[in-house]
Amino acid sequence: MIGVNQPVAVAEKIVVVLPAYNEASVIGDVLCRIPPRIHDMSVTAVVIDDGSSDNTAEIARQNGALVFRHITNLGVGAATITGLRAAQHLNADVIVTMDSDGQHDPDEIQSLVRCLIEGPFDVVIGSRILSPQGMPFTRITANLLLNAVTFVVYRKIVSDSQSGFKAFSRSALSRMKLNASGYEICSEIIGELYRNDLRYKSLPVKAVYTTYSHAKGQHFLNGVNIILGLLMRLMRRV
Amino acid sequence: MFLIVAKVFSILLAAIAISKSYVDLRARVESLQMFIFWVFTWTMIVLVALFPAIVDFLIASSRYGQTGLGTVFGMGLVFLFFIVYRVYVKMERVEQKLTKTIQELALKDRQNESRPRS
Repeated sequence: MIGVNQPVAVAEKIVVVLPAYNEASVIGDVLCRIPPRIHDMSVTAVVIDDGSSDNTAEIARQNGALVFRHITNLGVGAATITGLRAAQHLNADVIVTMDSDGQHDPDEIQSLVRCLIEGPFDVVIGSRILSPQGMPFTRITANLLLNAVTFVVYRKIVSDSQSGFKAFSRSALSRMKLNASGYEICSEIIGELYRNDLRYKSLPVKAVYTTYSHAKGQHFLNGVNIILGLLMRLMRRV
Repeated sequence: MFLIVAKVFSILLAAIAISKSYVDLRARVESLQMFIFWVFTWTMIVLVALFPAIVDFLIASSRYGQTGLGTVFGMGLVFLFFIVYRVYVKMERVEQKLTKTIQELALKDRQNESRPRS
């Protein structure tokens, strides 16, 4: 087991979790670009098909991923949690989460994993804000606003609280209690870093913005939903 | 003018609610008792909207004759917000249970798939 006060050199298995909803047109390409091995560790891709109406699951299977399927659409948070639990079932030493719409570069999984192991850290967050080239101004502004809301709710400030590109050690993951269904999962993870006093690092990653990822990514209304969801959580705690 | 708009609005809302309830009754999604409850409730709401004097009459004929109309509607508002809160909490619980069930199902299905067939 790696992570808090544990030797990290014994890590053997990396599981990459990709929550997916109607991503048939891009998921094959994303899966093909995930390296099969990193630093002598095996890499397994786990796709959570969140009730897609297209053949996302089939294409993911054809590209060598283990597929877990939600019978109906629950949201990216619920799909991520299913993926993280699946990774625990698979005895993963390092768990990486990333978007399946091609926004994250699979080549950067290696940097995240290396940073986690060499740190050693419990969680490494791929931060788009630290490398904002090509990132639309509206996205940067929205992310900074959501960082502020995350700080108000969870008392932890990080450079990119909404990043879906993260690496976790097994022990860090086992200490996290997650239950958000929607996009507020990212902020909830930041809250768990604070609650469990986990060691983390924000690592610059580049975000690939294509017409497709623009259309599939977080819209203005999603941002409003995240803020409302986080405020509801804050009120429940009061 | 505003009073007429308010009356038309309440009749419209009542018509939508009752027709939706009737459709659910026909589809056997809703019970007859529930349908009768909604028809009765919305009829009362429409009656109060059409003849607001009913509320004055009820207040005057009760032990609390001195109570103002504002107090009665204020209490009504508080009651409605309480119902909204209860519905929100229940909905949240049901949603969480549904999410957990679907997640368990996804993990279980995958385990069954991985198990070698004998």
